[in-house]
Amino acid sequence: MTTQTAPPEAPAKQERRKLDENTLRNLGLVGVLILLIIVGIATKPDLYSDPTWVKNNFLTILQQASAIGVVTVGMTFVIIGGGIDLSVGAIVAIAGVWSTTLATQSYGAGGMIFTAIIVGTAVGLINGFLIAYGRLVSFIATLAMMVAARGLAAQISGKQTQISTNSTINDIASTRPLGIPLLVWILAAVVIVGWVLLNRTTFGRRTVAVGGNPEAARLAGINVKRHTMLLFALSGLCCGIAAIMLTSQATSAQAAMANLYELDAIAAAIIGGTLLSGGRGTIVGALFGVLVFSTITNLFAINNLPTEVQNMVKGGIIVAAVLIQQFRFQSLTQLFKR
Amino acid sequence: MTIPAPREDLKSDDQVPATPEQNDGDSPRDVVLRLTDVVKTFPGVRALDGVSLEVRAGEVHCLLGQNGAGKSTLIKTLAGVHHADGGEITWLGEPFAPATPQAAMRAGIATIYQELDLVDDLSVAENAFLGHEDARLGFTRRRSTAQKTREILSRLGHPEIPPRTHVRDLPAAGKQIVSMARALSHDAKLIVMDEPSAVLAHDEVDNLFRIIQGLTAQGIAVIYISHRLEEIREIGDRVTVLKDGRTTAANLPARSTPTRDLVSRMTGRSIEYVFPPRRTLEARDPLLVVEGLSRKGEFADASLTVAPGEIVGIAGLVGSGRSELLETIFGARRADSGTVTLDGQRITGVGRAVRKGMGMAPEERKSQALLLDEPVYKNMTLASFSGFAKAGFTDAGGERRAAEKTADLLELRPRDVTRPVRTLSGGNQQKVVVGRWLLDDTKLLLLDEPTRGVDVGARAELYQVIQDLAERGVGVLLVSSEVPEVLGLSDRVLVMREGRIVREAPAPEIDEDTVLDLVMSGSLTTESILEGEPA
Amino acid sequence: MSALSRRRILFGGAAVGAGALLTACTSNEPDNSAQVNTNTDASANPNAAAGEKVVIGFTAPAADHGWIAAITNNAKAQAAAYPDVEFKAVEAGADAAAQRAAISTLVAQKPTVIVMLPHDGKELDSAGLEAMKAGIPVINLDRAFPSQAAFRLQIKGDNYGMGLAAGHYIGEQLKAKNVANPLIGEIPGIDSLELTQERSAGFKTALAEYGFKVANRRPAEFTADSGQAAATALLQALPKMDALWNHDDDQGIGVLAAIKQTNRSEFFMVGGAGSKAAIDQIKADNSVLKATVTYSPSMASSAISLARLIGQGKGMSDLVELQVPKEITLASETITKDNADAYAKLGF
Repeated sequence: MTTQTAPPEAPAKQERRKLDENTLRNLGLVGVLILLIIVGIATKPDLYSDPTWVKNNFLTILQQASAIGVVTVGMTFVIIGGGIDLSVGAIVAIAGVWSTTLATQSYGAGGMIFTAIIVGTAVGLINGFLIAYGRLVSFIATLAMMVAARGLAAQISGKQTQISTNSTINDIASTRPLGIPLLVWILAAVVIVGWVLLNRTTFGRRTVAVGGNPEAARLAGINVKRHTMLLFALSGLCCGIAAIMLTSQATSAQAAMANLYELDAIAAAIIGGTLLSGGRGTIVGALFGVLVFSTITNLFAINNLPTEVQNMVKGGIIVAAVLIQQFRFQSLTQLFKR
Repeated sequence: MTIPAPREDLKSDDQVPATPEQNDGDSPRDVVLRLTDVVKTFPGVRALDGVSLEVRAGEVHCLLGQNGAGKSTLIKTLAGVHHADGGEITWLGEPFAPATPQAAMRAGIATIYQELDLVDDLSVAENAFLGHEDARLGFTRRRSTAQKTREILSRLGHPEIPPRTHVRDLPAAGKQIVSMARALSHDAKLIVMDEPSAVLAHDEVDNLFRIIQGLTAQGIAVIYISHRLEEIREIGDRVTVLKDGRTTAANLPARSTPTRDLVSRMTGRSIEYVFPPRRTLEARDPLLVVEGLSRKGEFADASLTVAPGEIVGIAGLVGSGRSELLETIFGARRADSGTVTLDGQRITGVGRAVRKGMGMAPEERKSQALLLDEPVYKNMTLASFSGFAKAGFTDAGGERRAAEKTADLLELRPRDVTRPVRTLSGGNQQKVVVGRWLLDDTKLLLLDEPTRGVDVGARAELYQVIQDLAERGVGVLLVSSEVPEVLGLSDRVLVMREGRIVREAPAPEIDEDTVLDLVMSGSLTTESILEGEPA
Repeated sequence: MSALSRRRILFGGAAVGAGALLTACTSNEPDNSAQVNTNTDASANPNAAAGEKVVIGFTAPAADHGWIAAITNNAKAQAAAYPDVEFKAVEAGADAAAQRAAISTLVAQKPTVIVMLPHDGKELDSAGLEAMKAGIPVINLDRAFPSQAAFRLQIKGDNYGMGLAAGHYIGEQLKAKNVANPLIGEIPGIDSLELTQERSAGFKTALAEYGFKVANRRPAEFTADSGQAAATALLQALPKMDALWNHDDDQGIGVLAAIKQTNRSEFFMVGGAGSKAAIDQIKADNSVLKATVTYSPSMASSAISLARLIGQGKGMSDLVELQVPKEITLASETITKDNADAYAKLGF
């Protein structure tokens, strides 16, 4: 039966190579991280000679990546599902501001967390509804939401910085269970849940289908519209969680908080191998993307280098990552043709 | 494998549709699916206009019809994508009206579309079970999914495909097997395959047939769509022919029905074409000379000429390379070898072709030729507006006046050139595309399926326009899959099949049957030749 | 979870949220801390006596920051304290172009005087000229116009002076403690702004007088979360530090949070601008924040008072001149524990 058919032995080889491609990218990002750390060691040997400082430094890198990392997980889902969410920074702001109004603070920490998460999810749902059922392009819908949500946040806060007086909330940023900041635990939890959701559940599988081939998804009986809406709600939920994390770190919230988070999150997802056209991406890669950015920030800080240069390096890394991906993709397809 | 005995009495059988039951006396399998006078209307189109079909368990039922005959609409209706407006569908003896693709699949009807509906970045197993994942509380069960997929792949004779490979990494044949695995994952009792062989190489088709035989042996019914007659003869049990959304013949025996019967049922005209009277043509030096033009995988060694004022028609099926040839002559595709000369000058690209006086009205009018929301005059001047521009500024007044002149010439209706093209009928849209090339001093016009989507009345007008152009000395090279159109309009006819020009003749010297046979003869099997079909 | 209980939870959440919003809208009216001083005792200050009616047009950028919000609030409150002043505020929108349009609208309404805080002095120079040509005196707040003809009065804070003040305070303190080669950190605001560059230049100059220099500098964006991020990075880069200047008390909320989160206290910190929260904290003396250098939004209150005088053709009574001078630069003052009480009412 298997005599002259083409498919037989080819797939086995390709599976091996496919595995390689994913691991390769992540290994590449780990390589970049290691390289950045080596540069750090080379430029600041005095700091790196103190083991306590080194441990602290890694925890700081992780902690500074935590809020944006949570946002990036949600963003990765949206992009894999074929959309884009430009409103994440604004959603973090509105969720943060809403949860720190005097009225909300009077409900205590539980009320604040609940409000941030509900507000974030609700704004995400509105995005998703407009995109799925109002047939707006996600770029446009979330661009509008980005402007509107920051406006509403400014309105609610009376353009003031709202200080959180709730010690439970404020302590989230300084608590360190098992010596590791709670914020990092939260990031780890969100990444693990995100990974399981993407790789081990029907939701994740359908996300790939909706982003990769919406027509196929529809013909397979998937409710593409509802799924799209849920993806944006998920992104909003992540923003709500990030809002609490950020509020706790800054012990306050304001309409201008989480400035440009959308760009950092998109950039991190892309470096991590998520295709902007949808249908492909990994949570682990996105996490590495965030860590690369956070490590660069750290490297520039310990060397007292100006942030302008830091931004240029960040831009360069994004371009390089995409170029490498394209190159690898091309060579893969060429191999395949042979 | 069950092969219904050939029925001799069918050649003269004109009743449409043929009544079921007693037709195939010796294979009394249960009828699983029956469609009676199914109607489906889209805005402006009656896509299905009385389709009847009967499919039995364990048979391969072939559906034959030209493009636009309603095959796609029919299978999408069965798949729950479209919903029938009228008629009756029964499935396993019950009335059947699937509301969603999911419902159709649950009922046991799976469809393998021509455009393989797989998600590249999911694995084989994930694709097979997409939409009805094997999951508990939302968590997928990877091991059991992989196991089930492996079983299905074994049933399909391909146990060697690893269930966890990404579909992206499979060749086309492998992807098709995944599509079939998906169908089987639903426990389908009927699998609809839309031109499954179109993406396959020859030996892969053999393998496909083996799989289909395996399926039918398990009692699964298959609706097989193809316009390769040789395949239908090899794999099919019975054939139903569609034409213009109607069943024109039902339940013909797949092996024994003569090719000519099948073809005439597919093409049998319900309307008479009105062609302008033939003209006499004096011999002139050729305007266009094409020599040895080839493109790998599309067409090979094509040579032809077109004289000024001559209309040359190319007949051929979709996939015969005719449109590709036309686009290569125009310079929109790069030839691998061969030359195109117009008035003695080499044509190497679209820009040069247009400057030298070549114009083209492409097949996909809406996507390739028109700016639908722009007014008629801007569409007409699209290729020549720089001629109207003064110092870089466009001259709307001049453009409009010129467009009005052309509109008169073409009898454009309504004559208002400021209307958006979208609001015009198909025939008038086509006139705008043709009109675009009249503004310039076009010497040669390439027309790809000029009457596609144009209603009968407007066709006659369009034919007149084309002939008027020729009388003014413009050379015309046209492609059409409607043989009568090619014959009625052209001075000279070329027949293309599988990338080659197989026949060239002056139009009066060749008749429709001959052309049809040439067009289809790739599909002629030895059997039909033995039957003594005229060649 | 049953559909019913799920619905109940969602509804509850919406109710909490809606309640929070309603209260938010009413409770955060930003009018509680405006700085008003009209010297209304007419016997001591003849200028305070009601004179002819003055219409003051006012425009400032939409506030996304406490300082700008305080500018607008102060101007409004000060104007309300004069019975002879009519206050006409125009929303300046999100950028210079929008503000230019707003000023044209204002000019067309012919107010007696215009007080404006431009988005950018250079970009709105022409708008100032236009108003002046129309015979309406323009009072520029904080961000100077390049053309002399574009304003009647310039009243501004002293960014360079802020840096100097912060540098001198830190220099004196460290000298008193006898610290050689101190590690000094700096957290400026948005680095591309001219005001940030002036502040940093002043800081550098003052430190140089003591032979000190900045060891690390991490800019933030005038927001608390960016302040937290910048401070965290800075603290990580300097495991031991002696002093820190943070340019802006609003972002200072985040800077102080970061310091608390990292349990650091071996250094002292100087703030900038002079917010109420910062002044309170300095007074309480329970954190590393020991001082702040002012850049007070009280300038808006003064601007309204002076606009009224210009409108009425009066001078400043303590000056010999019969008219209000053309330029007033507020000194940047250093608020410490010792004088915090006196400045408490100027905090925003």
